[in-house]
Amino acid sequence: MKEWFAQFVEKLNNCFIANGYWKWLVEGFKNSLIITFFALLIGFVIGVILAMIRSSYDKNEESLKLRGGFGFWIFKVLNTICKVYITIIRGVPVVVQLMIWYFVILVSQDNGVIVAIAAFGFNSAAYVAEIFRGGIMSIDKGQFEAGRSLGFGYVRTMNNIVIPQTIKTVLPTLLNEAIALLKETSVAGYVGITDLTKAGDQIRGRTFEAFIPLLAVAAIYLLTVIVLTSVFTALERRLRRNER
Amino acid sequence: MSADNVLIHVEELKKYYLGGKVKALDGVNCDIHNGEVLVIIGPSGSGKSTLLRSLNLLEIPTSGKIIFDGQDITDPKTKINLHRRKMGMVFQHFNLFPNMTVLKNMTSAPVQLLKKSKADAEKKAMELLERVGLADRANDYPSQLSGGQKQRVAIVRALCMEPEVMLFDEPTSALDPEMVGEVLDVMKELAHEGMTMAVVTHEMGFAREVASRVIFMDEGKILEEGSPEEIFSNPQNPRTKDFLSKVIV
Repeated sequence: MKEWFAQFVEKLNNCFIANGYWKWLVEGFKNSLIITFFALLIGFVIGVILAMIRSSYDKNEESLKLRGGFGFWIFKVLNTICKVYITIIRGVPVVVQLMIWYFVILVSQDNGVIVAIAAFGFNSAAYVAEIFRGGIMSIDKGQFEAGRSLGFGYVRTMNNIVIPQTIKTVLPTLLNEAIALLKETSVAGYVGITDLTKAGDQIRGRTFEAFIPLLAVAAIYLLTVIVLTSVFTALERRLRRNER
Repeated sequence: MSADNVLIHVEELKKYYLGGKVKALDGVNCDIHNGEVLVIIGPSGSGKSTLLRSLNLLEIPTSGKIIFDGQDITDPKTKINLHRRKMGMVFQHFNLFPNMTVLKNMTSAPVQLLKKSKADAEKKAMELLERVGLADRANDYPSQLSGGQKQRVAIVRALCMEPEVMLFDEPTSALDPEMVGEVLDVMKELAHEGMTMAVVTHEMGFAREVASRVIFMDEGKILEEGSPEEIFSNPQNPRTKDFLSKVIV
């Protein structure tokens, strides 16, 4: 037992300390976090815009049609663009999208992290859009009607009444998306970006030791997800506090 | 009643669904006069809720006119938000905003739309809450109230906008029986103060006691119209007779 433990410590030393490989893990983890954070940001902003267009069209189709003019057609075209975007993004594996960004769209961009942010951000936007649209549509129609019947316009009704309730509803699903995104970034190594997974893999390549680097990588992902979850849970509790 | 007393004039109002297969409203003509309480009765699916909801364009009519305050509000160029401010609406399911306190529910529209100061709006809201006996619940959230209390708040929320007419869409249908009375009492009080009201309801007692005029609807049409005595004591249309015989025990 004692011998086994000594061996284990020796391996740990080899994998992380002796050659300074721990710095690779730190660097990789940093990249993973940067990619996840900015991709989430892009995904959130674009996703909310997509959701607004889609749900505004759904809610106002009838009145826009009656009012006539260009408004209806502008919305119809925008709505169709959003739908096509969401369909394509959700239909193509994220690794393939990442490679398309890296080898085709942003081929002149040397910084792989920026390419990954773009790829994962625009990918996540499609999912966030549907999460938000689902949230908006799940708010009782009566809430919307009550707002309108008081004289609030469409935008004010959304801002005052529908969106605050939507955010509470979608928070758990958004957390899901954030977790999924963090873990999805582990394929960034495909295009030569040193993320956490790639860093672990590089250590494996140098030390011929598979178990310990992978265990470390897995543990870091897990801990990050746990922290992320507790942040969201606290946020959710705070938002719900005033409802009881 | 003279014609110049008409607040809302409805002309040949039609609402079709599924390209005309379902005719929720099939050519409705009626007037709502200043200060009157118009009660709309009829079996479910008769179009009475659709008619009421059309009055402030929560349903967009397929054709026909609604003249409110001298303006055709079905004209797409009309600024409907301005007209809706003058029409209070009370829903079957209350539709209070769960993310706001009772007071905030009542003051957000007057503050944002009528540009009232927060203090003025709150003063007015508290007066109204006092009148319906809920002043002590001002800082509670809707989920803390009973059904009857929620509906009373919904009524005074609409009143905060100082509307010219109040529209009630089956205001007591979602309430437990013991709470119906408290809501009807508030409505009666409003009627006695001279508020113009259009009420869709199954409360025949209320209709008999408070209505200035009763409309009976079926299959998207107004079949009979008259004073409560005429409708309840001496209905002419066989469908009215049949309906009343089923609802009045």
